[in-house]
Amino acid sequence: MNIDMTGICSLGSAAQNMDFKSGNEMASLAARQINYHLMGFYPITPSTEIAENIDEMYAQGLCETRLIPAEGEHSAAGICYGASTAGGRVLNATSAQGLLYALEQLPVQSGTRFPMVMNIVTRAINGPLNIRGDHSDLMFMLNTGWIILLARNQQAVYDMNIMALRIGEHEKVRLPVAVAYDGFFTSHQKRRVEYFISEADVRAFIGPYREMQSSVKPEQPVTIGPYMNDPDLINNKYQLHLAMEAAREVIPEVFAEFAVLSGRQYPLVDSYMTEDAESGLFALNSAAEIAKDAADSLRRERSAVGVVSPNVLRPFPAAEVQAAVGNLKSLVIAERADSYGGNGGCMTFEVKAALHDLPGNSTRCVTRIYGLGGRDFYTDDAENLLRLAINAAGGKATSGKAGSEVGDGIKAFDYYGVTPGDRNWSLEPVTRPIPAEKTRQALIKIEQDPETGRLSVRTSSVRAMTALPKRIAPGHGACPGCGIFPNLNQFFKGIEGEVVVLFQTGCGMVVTTAYPESSHRVTYIHNLFQNGAATLSGVVEMYRERQRRGEIPADRQLTFVMVSGDGGMDIGMGSALGAALRDHGMIIVEYDNQGYMNTGNQLSYTVPLGTKTTTSGVGPVEKGKSFHHKDTAQIMAATNIKYVATSVEGLSIDMVKKAAKAQWYANRGHLAYIKLLSACPLSWRSKEQLGTEVMRAAVDCNFFPIYEVEQGITTINYDPESRKRRVPLSDWLGMMPRSRHLTGPDYREQYDDLEAEIERRWQRLKAQAENERL
Amino acid sequence: MTSLAKLPKTHGNGFFEVRMESIGGLGANVAGKIFAEAGVLGMGFNGVTFSSYGAEKKGTAVKTFARFCDPRQEIRIAAPVEYPHLLVIFHDRLLQTGKAVTHGVTHDTTVVVNSRHPLDQVREQVGLCGGGLGVVDAIGIAVEEKSRPNTVLLGAMTRASGFMDPEAVRKAIAGTLGHKYPKMLEGNLRAFDRGYREMQLEEYACSIKHPKEPPPRFVSPLGYENAPIGGAVVNPGNTILRDLTPSRTGYIPQFFPEDCINDGHCEYTCPDFCFTWESGVDRKGKKGMVNKGIDYRYCKGCLRCVEACPTTALRTVIEDEEYVREHTVPLLGREE
Repeated sequence: MNIDMTGICSLGSAAQNMDFKSGNEMASLAARQINYHLMGFYPITPSTEIAENIDEMYAQGLCETRLIPAEGEHSAAGICYGASTAGGRVLNATSAQGLLYALEQLPVQSGTRFPMVMNIVTRAINGPLNIRGDHSDLMFMLNTGWIILLARNQQAVYDMNIMALRIGEHEKVRLPVAVAYDGFFTSHQKRRVEYFISEADVRAFIGPYREMQSSVKPEQPVTIGPYMNDPDLINNKYQLHLAMEAAREVIPEVFAEFAVLSGRQYPLVDSYMTEDAESGLFALNSAAEIAKDAADSLRRERSAVGVVSPNVLRPFPAAEVQAAVGNLKSLVIAERADSYGGNGGCMTFEVKAALHDLPGNSTRCVTRIYGLGGRDFYTDDAENLLRLAINAAGGKATSGKAGSEVGDGIKAFDYYGVTPGDRNWSLEPVTRPIPAEKTRQALIKIEQDPETGRLSVRTSSVRAMTALPKRIAPGHGACPGCGIFPNLNQFFKGIEGEVVVLFQTGCGMVVTTAYPESSHRVTYIHNLFQNGAATLSGVVEMYRERQRRGEIPADRQLTFVMVSGDGGMDIGMGSALGAALRDHGMIIVEYDNQGYMNTGNQLSYTVPLGTKTTTSGVGPVEKGKSFHHKDTAQIMAATNIKYVATSVEGLSIDMVKKAAKAQWYANRGHLAYIKLLSACPLSWRSKEQLGTEVMRAAVDCNFFPIYEVEQGITTINYDPESRKRRVPLSDWLGMMPRSRHLTGPDYREQYDDLEAEIERRWQRLKAQAENERL
Repeated sequence: MTSLAKLPKTHGNGFFEVRMESIGGLGANVAGKIFAEAGVLGMGFNGVTFSSYGAEKKGTAVKTFARFCDPRQEIRIAAPVEYPHLLVIFHDRLLQTGKAVTHGVTHDTTVVVNSRHPLDQVREQVGLCGGGLGVVDAIGIAVEEKSRPNTVLLGAMTRASGFMDPEAVRKAIAGTLGHKYPKMLEGNLRAFDRGYREMQLEEYACSIKHPKEPPPRFVSPLGYENAPIGGAVVNPGNTILRDLTPSRTGYIPQFFPEDCINDGHCEYTCPDFCFTWESGVDRKGKKGMVNKGIDYRYCKGCLRCVEACPTTALRTVIEDEEYVREHTVPLLGREE
């Protein structure tokens, strides 16, 4: 840039550049400059970009941070914990459900006193599922023993990430640190930012890593995490409390030192025009920034208003809050998370507690819950809340109880921005339930072989089966050419009678159930990735129990089907194995679209070696996914369930037969698992119209063999070799730009390795098919 | 040192504001990044850009925003743009959806529309009284230059903005696309130049004063009084009422019943369940299921069916609105 920026650039002792970046990009930039040893992660919107960006920098050789793609956030936190005990610098990033899934691990990290840094890109927690920004996840962090720094804008994300490490590793502190910033508002919006040109300045500021205890120093054995009973645990926790108190001293020191380096000041509590204010607004992060604009415009009307927001949440800066708001007549505490039934969010309790300890304080506090689920917060919303504060300056707030308004009628607690709905809006059914007889048109005949006990199925023609009704209505929002729906359509043609479905989180779920719409004509339940199988097993067993008690007719047959995809069988594997081992009467269908596509093409474990995804880049250092594809069907077969099968769209009759068999077993109280390979033209960057052809190539190159394991007996249903349709692996890989590089000379090693692995698994499968004992 | 360019107009809050109305896949998000980066890093303004976000998918409506202000002004606002000085409509089909794509347009707004239609017709579609209107055939140019339509629109927006330096935008394009898709850079830069040059831009005077009413913020028809508790959808299957026409980007399958052998492959490969089948008699007089045609309301133009069809009963054609209107075979009502 050749514009004079004097007075715009920050003046610190270190040289800085100006750039235009998002919050997630700034978190990744800080991580690169710090050069963390390791990052354990699991993708979750809106934090995912951090791992993606670091992966891209790693692939290009710009940083050395080892990325470990966990199979879920609980494991990601475990990886981080283990890594931090082994004496190096560790990073994590998560949001919402991810944070809650990891939550159990977080007090382990703090209680055993291993510093690390985790970015929390704040987002609403399920359910119903919402991926946008609020603070309902962050509030669960308050009791974990982690230091929590808040980053109100993109610049602060960078600055806090650098300071966080320094604070957490301080010898008086030794605690993990979270940096929290607003999902989408801060994580995805791009703004003008500054960063240190030289990594050396960052490294000098954070200093060398000083290890205290190490799990990998055998000459100095140490027991990390003993069993600690009642005489001692309280003392351990008191030490943690003392560390937090020490952090109270350390944080301002680090902030001050950073200000010298960067020219940017961070007080513990950011007070905007509160010196002479009568009324104020307390809010966290991006909303507090917007409120400053609102305060400016109200100041022009000569209203004495100000805005208060902390930069540090743990330890809670109570004294600074007292100083900032203690002299106000009224304060609206705006919260992007409710503590249901508490008549306040957590910030209300903490601000009120701080004011309670201020002798003679008479500030009137009013709480408004706003902006849940990322609901936009406009400047005029902030103005409304400031005006509410002005109005509240005259009197005492009433209790939050409905109907208890007295005096000026301002409730101490309420929601801001809720809407009652349109009374004339119709909730009348749009489609009628599918009559069971319509799904039973004698098109499918199933028989059990009296000798072997195994099933044989005969179906009508593809054409005749077009008469079967679809359980998913058109109008869903999937991408053009999506493979999920041809697969599910073909699968469900094989299922007769009444059905209950459960979809785990994923594309199939997101695109069919965008509230207030739903494409599901049969009863549908959603639960998160890691727990669908357990949830559906609960449904199945309740149904059976109610049948046993006579509450539901014993002869009423329902078929229960769980649908998973988008890597749901990674994070949900434990739950699926549990349900399989308990052998509930249900079907698990996995549409394997080879990646976490609903969050933007991160690797799932089923992705083949060497493939490029947003978390397995290709470049001078990284060569795509570093480990072989997961064989989910064989893992499920190892639970010894009665029926496991693979199929793919295009092999319609094969799939219908397998669906019918799965239903036969499910309705006799056994769990059946079917895996369907499923095209994702968006992320594979394959041609939208070629879904079936890409699938066929995956089958014909033996990457995805079509077989079933019925009562332990393996049968290959489609053998590309005997049909003389076998194609080289490169035919399939070449159809998908995301793996086309594997067919080139630079990736020969990965290609050969993948080809050998596919062949090894194929030969083993053939041996299993030839020998009933295998 | 170059002196700073001036913003032609700003709101009371100091911002020149831009809104782009698009469909996922047309590249509005990237265009916003390039445009804002050019203004901030190339021209020295302070600025911000962002998009409305959902799950990762193609074909759904997306809004992208950008704001510019004096470099000394701090940016705090993170909310969407309601009164754009520059409104860019990435596909004229969005004007037909009844969605609020033109909300907040005033005399101060210049609207840029990607359309093949003449200026006057687009003006009618937009319902524009006064203000600026630019029309450019971004898809046509993109096809010719083998570029993305968003670079054509970047050219058009750059000119329509009245302040953006085309060189700064070209540089930002090179920085973004040159890194990701170096082979496509030249075509995209040509597309940018053509968008800049070939946009028809007209300023309309109008005697009627545009009322500056607050643009309606979306309010859900279901609220705390009438929404079933727990977020349950009690009338599921209701996506059948949707019309996905805007998610198509140019091509459709055309159905020739005289070539159809009713084998059912189109029905099985269609992700969007567009085909209408009925029990009947086929052309050879045989009883069985018969393909009656396509309900284009649900068709996203993926063309899987054309690929699956063993005959020539399904063929790829450039979408023609009249054809679609006349040949849609409605599914609704038959599904029960």
